[in-house]
Amino acid sequence: MLQDKTIGNRIFDIINYTLLILIALVCVLPFVYVLAVSFTSPAEVARGGLILWPKEWSLASYRYIFSTDTLFRSMLVSIYITVVGTFINLLFTSLMAYPLAKATLRGRQFILLAVLFTMLFGGGMIPTYFVVKAMGLTNSLWSLMIPNAISAFNLIVLKNFFQQIPDGLEDSARIDGCTDVGVLFRIVLPLSMPAMATFGLFYAVGHWNQFFSAILYINDSRLYPIQVLLRQIVILAQGSIGDTSIDNIEIQPLTIRMAVIVFATVPILLVYPFLQKHFAKGVMLGSVKG
Amino acid sequence: MKQNVSTSAGTPGIKAPRGKAGTLLRDIIRDKWLYLMLLPGVIYFIIFKYVPMYGVSMAFMDYKPYTGFLGSPWVGLKHFERFFSEPQFGMLFRNTVILAVYNLVFFFPMPIILSLMLNEVRRAKFKNFVQTLIYIPHFVSWVVVVGIFYILLTTENGVLNELLYRITGEKIAFLLEAEWFRTMIITQSIWKEIGWGTVIFLAALAGVDLQQYEAARIDGASRWRQLWHITLPAIRSTIIILFILRLGNFLDSGFEHIFLMITPTNREVGEVFDTYVYTKGMTQAQYSYSAAVGLFKSAVGLVLVLGSNWLAKKFGEEGVY
Amino acid sequence: MKKRMALLMGGALLATSVLSACGSNNGQNAAGGKTDAAKGNSNAPAVEDTSPLELSIAVHQAAEAPAKGNPMEQAIEKYTNTKLSFQWIPNSGYDEKINVMIASGELPKILKVSYVPTIISAMQADVFWEIGPYLKDYPNLAAQPETYYNNIKVDGKLYGLPVFRSVGRAVLQYRKDWFDESGQKVPKTLDEWYNVLKAVAENDPDKNGKKDTYGIMLDKNYNQGVASTLTRFSVMQGGPNKWEADEQGNFTPEFMTDVFNDTLDLFRRLYAEKLINQDFAVTDAQTIDKAYEAGRVALRISGGNAQSMQTNLVKVVPTAVMDAAALEGPGGIRVPAESGNAGILALPKSSVQDEAEMKRVMTFLDQLLDKEMVNLINKGIEGTHYSVEGDFTLPLDKDADAKEVKPYRDTLLQRGESYNMDKPMKQTELFQKNNKIVSDNEQYVVSNPALTLISTTYTERGSELEQMITDAETKYIMGKIDEAGWNAEIEKWKQAGGSSLMEEYKEAYLKNK
Repeated sequence: MLQDKTIGNRIFDIINYTLLILIALVCVLPFVYVLAVSFTSPAEVARGGLILWPKEWSLASYRYIFSTDTLFRSMLVSIYITVVGTFINLLFTSLMAYPLAKATLRGRQFILLAVLFTMLFGGGMIPTYFVVKAMGLTNSLWSLMIPNAISAFNLIVLKNFFQQIPDGLEDSARIDGCTDVGVLFRIVLPLSMPAMATFGLFYAVGHWNQFFSAILYINDSRLYPIQVLLRQIVILAQGSIGDTSIDNIEIQPLTIRMAVIVFATVPILLVYPFLQKHFAKGVMLGSVKG
Repeated sequence: MKQNVSTSAGTPGIKAPRGKAGTLLRDIIRDKWLYLMLLPGVIYFIIFKYVPMYGVSMAFMDYKPYTGFLGSPWVGLKHFERFFSEPQFGMLFRNTVILAVYNLVFFFPMPIILSLMLNEVRRAKFKNFVQTLIYIPHFVSWVVVVGIFYILLTTENGVLNELLYRITGEKIAFLLEAEWFRTMIITQSIWKEIGWGTVIFLAALAGVDLQQYEAARIDGASRWRQLWHITLPAIRSTIIILFILRLGNFLDSGFEHIFLMITPTNREVGEVFDTYVYTKGMTQAQYSYSAAVGLFKSAVGLVLVLGSNWLAKKFGEEGVY
Repeated sequence: MKKRMALLMGGALLATSVLSACGSNNGQNAAGGKTDAAKGNSNAPAVEDTSPLELSIAVHQAAEAPAKGNPMEQAIEKYTNTKLSFQWIPNSGYDEKINVMIASGELPKILKVSYVPTIISAMQADVFWEIGPYLKDYPNLAAQPETYYNNIKVDGKLYGLPVFRSVGRAVLQYRKDWFDESGQKVPKTLDEWYNVLKAVAENDPDKNGKKDTYGIMLDKNYNQGVASTLTRFSVMQGGPNKWEADEQGNFTPEFMTDVFNDTLDLFRRLYAEKLINQDFAVTDAQTIDKAYEAGRVALRISGGNAQSMQTNLVKVVPTAVMDAAALEGPGGIRVPAESGNAGILALPKSSVQDEAEMKRVMTFLDQLLDKEMVNLINKGIEGTHYSVEGDFTLPLDKDADAKEVKPYRDTLLQRGESYNMDKPMKQTELFQKNNKIVSDNEQYVVSNPALTLISTTYTERGSELEQMITDAETKYIMGKIDEAGWNAEIEKWKQAGGSSLMEEYKEAYLKNK
């Protein structure tokens, strides 16, 4: 690496680093705004403008949102469906993606095409509801995990990742007497940690952001995940998306809305840094050697 | 080790002779475990995706919730005929396609470029730091993103517009002028999703063997050549797959985002299929009509996916299936 | 860990035992139930069946769904001899959820719906009980003004009860301190309005040396729906409420009347002279609220209460004084009539199976307007949410009221102080003044003649047609189109279905007459 230090390389590095810092700053801006407003007094917010650092600090909005147990309860629901749901997703997706990565498997193309087809065409809300109901899943948290156990998109991309694993490694395991199931769990999955981390993250975020299926499939409001509450408090207040005939929605002050956003977003934001080590370059072959 | 890998590519020992009865059965028996693994997924797709598929028939009925699928009358292609003969159809089609093309041209490559930039960073801590920050906007809802843009760009004390005013003596109504609409939409999309988009490419890049770079450097290859010959090929198939899958949603414009950005003064360039269907389906309860528009969008997506996949395979790529 | 678990379980047990200890109807079974039912019977003689009625109710969720079996619900259950199960559905999926419920036949006994095309067609298809003929048997329900019921009829038939709301909510709220200081009066004619708005925008009433005040500010919904500022303005000046019908039944939309066009011209002039916010077409209502709260605006026409504006305003501008006035034009007070409900409580036929059951549910709804229930639903539980002081009641805990009482106040039948309330809530003078204007407004309301008329064109492309015109209004105010352009847009509207809309309304009107 030392012989890299030519002038050209240095200039490249300087430009690259500067650009990345700028991009990072611009990207973090919206969240800084949300965070700052949530800690600002309503009077300062009323004066308007872009607030990136509160002048008049206030914890009032957090005091307000913590004054009920609804937020905590829905947070627990969200964490539960995210953890259990993501586990189910990864298991089912990799079980299905692995055979599909084998070029010699009979019927593979037909299945892939059939999966791809579901990405484009769907039966819609009401028929899907009937299926979920017939399976006896309505009004339980399973209705938020089982009906979306496999995402066609993730399946196809994961299949692609599996295909790039050198076949030789699997063959040696097979010679050692492993079945295909054993090869998947002992060789392929450990080799695919970056992919697992990626799709785990995709699935987790998907579960975390679910709100519509919760409203549709669940009647007991104690089982609602945090996003339902977030929509209720934030989105309707500003967007006027949704039921246009209801005009007496209670609108919470901006500071409280932002505090709810912070509360509902920080847990899922914390997931990524933990997964990050799996994205380090060369992980895959490193582990093979070791 | 490395050599070992490359020589044993392919599947030795199971190159059964082709054709003839019996080989099919032999292949299936050979792969019995693989089929067993496929089973849960296949059952899942049948139950939750294919059983409800009869709902597509809604587009050919006059569906009402209280009469259901069995009681609603069949109307054939009535909704499609109506859709294609709408006076706005031309405008909707143009707006949707232009926006979709802009998305593919300006938005789609951005995460790839950013991943490549990150890939060039040698300091792990700096890289982790930047990564952790850039993916945050993905979690901020469109309502908030649009709200922040309003604070920045409104002509009433908007932060950036005030700055502009001080420099040029003029303000620009970015949020109202039709000519700025598409720029705004694409900029916001990039801002929100660029970091999130890098995740999948970084995962693909994690598979690149560091020794290849080492070897290239010893051969005196410049960074550009390394990028071109090692890094890009490593993520090429991922890029192609994502591109093909994106084409499947070609006519989806991101309803919530567009809906929040449309104003009376930019509607002529802003109204797309998704927002039009919302007005029809949600506020006027024309389920069948909305379903027909949805079916049209899906059909276009299907043609694009099949076409692009065929093309990819022709150029020797793996493609989606 | 185990200890904590045990503690938790203990806590849960304690909680349930406390709850059942409070609920006289809830905890006990058959044995105790009889005496309770008997009590319920003496309270409400209309009830024949003595066992509590199982009643499922699906309504919009307030900010937070109240807990099941809370004291409010227990009190209602006890009085009405029912066993309630509320299903609180969040707004962001209400319409879809109802569609799924209708499609799958999983309907509650009472369902809150809106007066929108899907529901209207469901009503026409007899999905809900037609309750019109039975209304007279229920003293409280029969005592309510007929307008409320007429406004939700479909083909002259009544398929539900309105969740009552004032008909004339629009009130003018203004900065009294600014007006007093400059010696100005509340404007009436369009010229007076222009002068006042100009003066506020240019004379720096907040004396901060900056030209940052407006007479009035608009948000992007300024011409949408029942709360349209433009319609309120034009009605005040003598214009029609959305539609004008003459004696022959000819229908003219508001935007083809002179008064409305004069109002439009006023705003066009205000915009050109930068006397209203230039970005109104993209500004959401909350941003405008903030500007009002920050003391940058003089007047507003809204359905809110001047007192709450005052409360928010003094946090930023301690010297600010708000006042309320009725919408008065050159021809006296005129206010556009709203539909008079915040939704409709309908009884689906699939869940309320026979006439007897329907009557029992109606009895429940009628009981909600009894004195005891009116007090409970409006004010909560005495000692917890309010206390009695002489001829008034005093609110005790505003937060508890918002969380525990408001969800029921917003979804069940009640008409506030207008019907069967013992003692009014003690409020500030300003609050009462605003409220009095709202209740007085009922005499001055101008109704929308097309409100309950059914037109196929409207069902099919009503919102598109509306959007064409509201877009054109914005463009005209902003000077993007001139008068010729505006007339061309109206012509386009007629071509796109506006003419048939006018015809169909006429037809429906003459038929109903």
